[in-house]
Amino acid sequence: MAASDASERAAERDEDRRLFVAYTISATLWLLLTTAVGLLLSFKFPYPDLATSPYLSFGRLRPIHTNGTFYGFASVALTGIAFYVVARASGRPLWAPKLAWAALWCFNIAALAGSVTLDLGINNGDQEYREWVWWVTLFFLAALVLSLIALVGTVARRAESDIYISNWYLCGAYIFTIILGITAILPWYQHGLGQVAVQGFYMHNAVGMWFTFLALGTLYYALPKLLNRPIYSYALGVLGFWTNLVFYPVIGAHHFEFSPLPWWFQTLAIVFSVGMLVPVVAGTANFALTIRGRWERVRRSYALPFLVVGVAYYFLGSSQGTVEALRSLQAVWHLTNFTVGHSHATMYGFITFVAWGGIYGLLPRVTGKEPNLLAAGLHFWLALLGVTLYVGSLSVGGTLQGLDWLHGDPFIASVEAASPFWVARAVGGSMMFVAHLCFAYNVYWMTLGRRAVHAATPAAAGAQPAR
Amino acid sequence: MKSASGMNNVVMLVAAPLVIYAVLAIATGVIPGIELSRTPATPGVVPLSAQAARGREVYVGEGCSYCHTQQVRPLKEDLVFGRPSVAGDYVYDTPELLGSERNGPDLSDIGDRQPSEVWQYIHLYEPRAVVSESIMPSYRWLFRIKPHADPGDVVVPVPPPYSPPHGVVVATAKARDLVAYLKSLRQVPLRPAAGTSPAAAASPGVRAAPGGGGR
Repeated sequence: MAASDASERAAERDEDRRLFVAYTISATLWLLLTTAVGLLLSFKFPYPDLATSPYLSFGRLRPIHTNGTFYGFASVALTGIAFYVVARASGRPLWAPKLAWAALWCFNIAALAGSVTLDLGINNGDQEYREWVWWVTLFFLAALVLSLIALVGTVARRAESDIYISNWYLCGAYIFTIILGITAILPWYQHGLGQVAVQGFYMHNAVGMWFTFLALGTLYYALPKLLNRPIYSYALGVLGFWTNLVFYPVIGAHHFEFSPLPWWFQTLAIVFSVGMLVPVVAGTANFALTIRGRWERVRRSYALPFLVVGVAYYFLGSSQGTVEALRSLQAVWHLTNFTVGHSHATMYGFITFVAWGGIYGLLPRVTGKEPNLLAAGLHFWLALLGVTLYVGSLSVGGTLQGLDWLHGDPFIASVEAASPFWVARAVGGSMMFVAHLCFAYNVYWMTLGRRAVHAATPAAAGAQPAR
Repeated sequence: MKSASGMNNVVMLVAAPLVIYAVLAIATGVIPGIELSRTPATPGVVPLSAQAARGREVYVGEGCSYCHTQQVRPLKEDLVFGRPSVAGDYVYDTPELLGSERNGPDLSDIGDRQPSEVWQYIHLYEPRAVVSESIMPSYRWLFRIKPHADPGDVVVPVPPPYSPPHGVVVATAKARDLVAYLKSLRQVPLRPAAGTSPAAAASPGVRAAPGGGGR
């Protein structure tokens, strides 16, 4: 009995490892494809006659880039991490891994079918981040439901008596997004201006109730694990969870300030955007105080710097969002490229860096294979400098656009004013794409590669032998 | 063994976020959606013609609204695009195309601001033929180059150096539909009536505009 138990346990661990590997490889392939698309888009600003085929046109590729990075890359990467984290924090292997495999198929069918239909000009009405037509979205929702069942089943069978805070964030993300997806997909109640209200609600919640919760859940597990110390305050984590849940749903209308949506509805969104400082400061302070005094460990790790950048951009991007929501500043920045910079500060500087930190920190623990350190360093610096150049240039260029409009210049003057900053953005984007190639190279070595540098001590990966 | 209460209970782990978020989603997403879907039309706003409706599908399929908004804000700088948009303008606009980014100008009133069909055709075929600094993509797949025009063809007088070396540029049905849609984008004038007219809906915004960047 004992012997068969042990071999069963080993088989279950092996299944968890193969899942983590498959999710990471799948996410990496979508990262390469969809950021190649993003790179092409960025070069279309200085060179509008570049690649003029309808299948490579700006209007069709833009939603392929946004939906593909959101749902093909980031969602899959963070779901792979979520399965690992929830299982480990529960002290058990993942329950019903078959569901997780089925979810991976659904994620990929959705991303593939969504990209192909968008390229054929078939979409859900240019509604940002829900451009996929309904049957494609159903595959994505199926992936979320399957993942949630596997995650909750694992927590229900946990060996510990407590449910660690990261499991609240991670399970919550799937619950919220399933509800959100259903409200977004049902067409019968949203017409005209009503659809505008739903769109504001949807597009913002798709980021803040999905990716934010997944990334925070990852941070609450990976940061203490890699630093080898407990989280600074469990209570701040709980506070962040509930305030984010209660404040966030209201703020979507700040994407439609000065629109014909009811004025009080816009005002309410702005008030709650300011309220979001509570969970953001609670989370950032908690992470910063956990890191405090352990910089030597950060310096010697190839995974922790990604998480530290993720925390920094979480604070910068989120507080920028609060400031941006204020009417006096929206009057300048709304509808300019400043918004595009903001979305990359959050989705890339925060979400993507946390996903990378999670993969670099946790994946070698299950495969026993470490990444190439030079490639990891190149990945980190090119991605950090690239995204900072990207956000910085679009922040300046977007501000100039807004000021040109305010001065009553002819519209084309705002295009000319932003042009040099679009070139800088393309340079930043190129650096980011090269960083992704370095990451893909490292994913190969952490998964399929034959070289096992520290096969005997997989636990040392990420945090490195600091002892 | 397992603590049954609060944040260590697996039922709570699912039920509490589920119920709270479902309530919030209904209150802040679904109910505003239902209520605002019932907005009455601004007097004079009518459904699109069949051809313009097909053109709107081309507009959506090509993703025009990623760079062109259809919302004139009650701000001084937006008045070049028309009068401030009001709730009743969007009654027949599903999917909504308000947009979030202006890499190109707002199109709420483009049918009035640029009524020339010829300009629209040339601009779609090669934007830089009419606005040299434009960064808009050229939509050449909405046109065909034929050796000779047939009766009934819409021939587009593309100026050199953008005209093809041989033959003529002819608008396809999709291009004709799209231009019909663009021509249909005309704001109806608001009646200056007091009380509950749609004009009242815009007034809070107009009042707030001076604080919001207008002078």
